[in-house]
Amino acid sequence: MIKPLIYAPSKPIRKRKNVFLQRLGTNALFLLPALFFFTCFVIYPLLSGVYYSMTNWNGIDLTPQFVGLQNFLSLWHDAEFLSSMRVTLTFAFFVTLIQNSLALLLALALNRFMRFSAAFRVLFLIPTLISILAMGYIWSYIYSPLFGFVDAFLIHVGLSQWAQDWLGDPHFALGTIIFSGSWQWCGFNMIIYMAALQLVPTEFYEAASMDGAYRWRKFRDITFPLIAPSFTINLVLILIGGLRVFDIIVAMTGGGPAGMTRSVFLEIYRQAFLFSRFGYSSAMVLVVSLIILAISVTILHYLRKREVAY
Amino acid sequence: MTISSFQNRPPTVQKPFPLPPGMNASRHAPKNRSSRKSLGIAFDGVTLAFLLLWAVIVLIPLGVLVSVALKSPAELTTNPLGLPQQFLWSNFAQAWENGNMGTATINSVLVTGFTLLALVLFGSMAAYPLARATSNKWYRGIYLYFVAGLIVPSQMGMIPLYGLMRNLGLINTLQGIIFLDIGGALPLVIFLYAGFIQSVPRELEEAAALDGAGPLRIFWNIVFPLLGPVTATVIITSGLNIWNDFFGPLLFLQDQDKMTLPLAIYSFVGAYTNNWGLIFAAIIVSALPMLILFIFLQPYYVKGIAGGALKG
Repeated sequence: MIKPLIYAPSKPIRKRKNVFLQRLGTNALFLLPALFFFTCFVIYPLLSGVYYSMTNWNGIDLTPQFVGLQNFLSLWHDAEFLSSMRVTLTFAFFVTLIQNSLALLLALALNRFMRFSAAFRVLFLIPTLISILAMGYIWSYIYSPLFGFVDAFLIHVGLSQWAQDWLGDPHFALGTIIFSGSWQWCGFNMIIYMAALQLVPTEFYEAASMDGAYRWRKFRDITFPLIAPSFTINLVLILIGGLRVFDIIVAMTGGGPAGMTRSVFLEIYRQAFLFSRFGYSSAMVLVVSLIILAISVTILHYLRKREVAY
Repeated sequence: MTISSFQNRPPTVQKPFPLPPGMNASRHAPKNRSSRKSLGIAFDGVTLAFLLLWAVIVLIPLGVLVSVALKSPAELTTNPLGLPQQFLWSNFAQAWENGNMGTATINSVLVTGFTLLALVLFGSMAAYPLARATSNKWYRGIYLYFVAGLIVPSQMGMIPLYGLMRNLGLINTLQGIIFLDIGGALPLVIFLYAGFIQSVPRELEEAAALDGAGPLRIFWNIVFPLLGPVTATVIITSGLNIWNDFFGPLLFLQDQDKMTLPLAIYSFVGAYTNNWGLIFAAIIVSALPMLILFIFLQPYYVKGIAGGALKG
């Protein structure tokens, strides 16, 4: 028998497309550790939180009493919760506005001076390496009355009438924290904008400059529509972070003066660990989380529709 | 000085792009050339001034941090603005001794190290079948289950978690906070790994499978070694979050000898109110390891921020 010149396999090769589906056992082995930790320490607590929010759990009892929606009803009349809600929404709104604008302006400016961008980028990212709590303490020293950096500087240049207790004054405390938070994290959002700006095809600008388009028109009609996805992401990231603000307020004011800067998560912590009202606290967490979820989904949905494809 | 960012770009392939809507070719005819050019220089000047101004605003608090850490309490009142007259290095030694910093540093290293090890192992392993079997609806479902964790606020389960952790005897233990951090960080880690694995061609794996290699060997010998860049991204982004986390340790670690660095600083400030030199020295010590990690992994940090956000 003459051997065939070309060895043909005795069986046609099975299409190997589904090779990853065939080994269910191995795949389960690969997936199980991650599924275990994620389910036990994220999903299960989240779901049990829904149950706890309808009980009067004090953090110690193993069998808390079921109280139905009572916790949620009393939230409506809880002046401290409502005030903390107001503080949190104000904080989130202004941080979003300031931090996002700063990040976009810095990214646009750096995009113009590409040759220095590496050094500036490193500098603007350094604040994000320091813990928010530690950075809060640094700021609280800088704003401390008389000997803090800001007041000492104002006195030094002869503007001593402007010097004041920035964090102790109800008019200035929240604004001061808002600036400090934006200062620390705008570099992070700037990186997202810079990545998006690099992807804008230069041909668009070339065509536009031949038309003699003005800078503002170039930005409004070309740059911004093309980097809109990063605008959406930054907006949502800052907003979510702002609604969850905790560390920086603990460090800078602890919620004072007179609760003027007490955010929702400070209130949640206070109710649970100071007053042992874990059930009530869980109800607050649930309400705030649903608000955060609703706001982010709405923004994502609304802004995604307006984005252009290119 | 005219610096145009466009000139520094590598030449791109000339491809006709359609003008976006709203761009009208005839509406703005070029005006006087030279006046527009000087306007451009002025614009560049303003831009550069803005960048430098913000750089100074970023540098001031960092400078204050270092300068105060080297001052004595007396000098802080006599010389609040200037550089320290004499460097008081003893602040660092004193903060290290009195602030429980040694124990806290070891605890932070243990928590961050073990969490990162588990994240890299479990995250890459879970992402592998999820990235490869996207046509199967079960695997797609599991992927969405994990990625949903990116949207859900992480503090949502914190209060009920307290009950769970107590029942499991995990309060005041380092492994408790490690388990918690693993679960919390997995969504982002799996998202990053799955995205990266999808960009790795599967021919190598298929060749190895034809040679008779088992799936475990294929993963460890072929796929995992290719994941270096995304592993670096995972280490720097998740490492920073875990190292600097305050809320989790505040809830679940109360013992002096179990504290991580942010918690140690928190209790240190409580004990040494207004001794800012000591407090700032402690802050510098606590931030130093992340600064060193950042120096080595800076490009991966940038990639992690940009990639994680834009794909989402």
